[in-house]
Amino acid sequence: MTAIISVRDLRKTFRVLVRRPGLGGSIANLFAPHYRSVQAVEGVSFSLQAGELVGYLGPNGAGKSTTIKVLTGLLVPTGGEVRVDGQVPWEKRERYVKGIGVVFGNRPTLWWDLPVIDSLELLQPMYDIPAERFRYNLVEFKRMLELDEFINTPVRSLSLGQRMRADLCAALLHEPKLLFLDEPTIGLDVVAKEQIRRFVLDINHRRGVTVLLTTHDLTDVERLCERVMILDHGKLLYDGTLAALNGRFESAWTLKVDFEEEYPDVSVAGLPAPQRVGRQALYLFNHRELNTAELVQQLMARFQVVDLEVRRPPLEETIRRIYAEQLLTK
Amino acid sequence: METMRLYLRVMKLSILQQVTYRTALLAGLATNFFFGLLRAAVLLALFQVQPVVNGMTQAEGLTFVAFSQALIAFLFIFGTYDVMNTVYTGSIGADLARPMDLFFYWMARDFGASLVNLVIRGVVLVAVFSVFYPVVMPATIGQWGVGLVSLLLGWGVNYAFRFLVNLTAFWTPDARGIGRAAYTMLMMFSGFLMPMRLYPDWFSRLVALTPFPSTFNTPMEIFMGLLKGPEVIPALITQVGWLVALWLLARVVLRRGLSKLVIQGG
Repeated sequence: MTAIISVRDLRKTFRVLVRRPGLGGSIANLFAPHYRSVQAVEGVSFSLQAGELVGYLGPNGAGKSTTIKVLTGLLVPTGGEVRVDGQVPWEKRERYVKGIGVVFGNRPTLWWDLPVIDSLELLQPMYDIPAERFRYNLVEFKRMLELDEFINTPVRSLSLGQRMRADLCAALLHEPKLLFLDEPTIGLDVVAKEQIRRFVLDINHRRGVTVLLTTHDLTDVERLCERVMILDHGKLLYDGTLAALNGRFESAWTLKVDFEEEYPDVSVAGLPAPQRVGRQALYLFNHRELNTAELVQQLMARFQVVDLEVRRPPLEETIRRIYAEQLLTK
Repeated sequence: METMRLYLRVMKLSILQQVTYRTALLAGLATNFFFGLLRAAVLLALFQVQPVVNGMTQAEGLTFVAFSQALIAFLFIFGTYDVMNTVYTGSIGADLARPMDLFFYWMARDFGASLVNLVIRGVVLVAVFSVFYPVVMPATIGQWGVGLVSLLLGWGVNYAFRFLVNLTAFWTPDARGIGRAAYTMLMMFSGFLMPMRLYPDWFSRLVALTPFPSTFNTPMEIFMGLLKGPEVIPALITQVGWLVALWLLARVVLRRGLSKLVIQGG
């Protein structure tokens, strides 16, 4: 199987004007501008197989958007090789973008003062979509995204969630093989986020659309992606399954136990003393060294246990530790 | 074929969008009309001193005022900043992610808005103006026809010029300043402020070497019958020449700009 996206040693350097302060500085800037190079992406390589749904994570300024812009043909990289579906994105841009769908979470792409349907219908001649195909897709997406309630409303009057649903529809009517989502759930409420996620999963499963998604919302990642790539300071730190990431970097799990009575000493050898509130105790344990079953068996053998609950740290916590402690660069 | 359909559809959406701005249209019409009265008063004072100035009569002068005020919105005489704004806000990224040509996309958008402006602000203004002043309409259908052709050519030259001005946003963070300077030149040298004939001879000869008179002065002179018969031919050829030259230049500059574009933000 060949990769639908292959990126090798991608580099992008921006020249940023360094502004000197004061009037003298302004004049100096005018005649002898002083530039500083900023490496947004430094030698990133990865590939995506057709049908994958991959999360692209990283803190602000990590180089995620730069990568997406290169992949969507908006930016010419400083170096490296990029092939998407056999094409180089920034050469012959118009032909290339016909085969992809793009949603920028923070940028509206629809005509602001006109009803949603007007913007959607413009796409038919734009992408040369056969009329019947276009009708069929429109009906299907209208149903899946529940567009009917606002399809005749001007875009400026839509809520953010409604606009995002309309944008998703506009990115997919021409049946692209590839969908790039740049923070699709940014600023949305829980219900709207969930609706977007269900839709993305559905078009990935049923239509086989390959999806590359950047987000800061890790629930998006947990709900959608088996595979994640983590970028920081322009370098790819991790590329693999979410399960393996958790296996390696998750911090201590918590076991919550309710005892029948208040025992004087419930500590377990090899573990830090549990936090206790009345008959309840919280044990922190490293799941890589001690498996949950063993710990539970030990406790059940010694005490009367009423209730047990294992809690894993949220993905946020794991990712935060990866960035903060630079676990992946070591 | 589909491409043509796409840009026609863009034009249609632009027309629909423009008519949603009803209040702005009416306010614009009122402003154009008011300044028209002011300019007419100045010209009347001038013609009281001298009945014919450089071959123009008082009625022709007033006609010029009526038509120029009527065409302000059609030709965007005060300039447009839309494309550079998309560069600065980064929303050009969304436009570039669509399979369309930015030059023709914005041309279709602008032309749709221009048509609405021509009908609502242009035609109404000339009609009302001719109630107060002796506005001289083209005498023959031929003159109307050639005048309209010249006006369309002028629109095309003017669009390419505005597009080029907007493209400077790819190279400088202050394209608005460049725009203000460029559109002031457009206003002065296109013959909008005063017909080119009323400027000193050496000045109009100099300006005739620029594309500016092709945008406005040429169609005006044809409408008013100042250019007649065979004189029309070289004027139209000059317009076509500038149209082709500026269009080609705009396309080359667009390609160069896109290759070094940095999409802002995000």
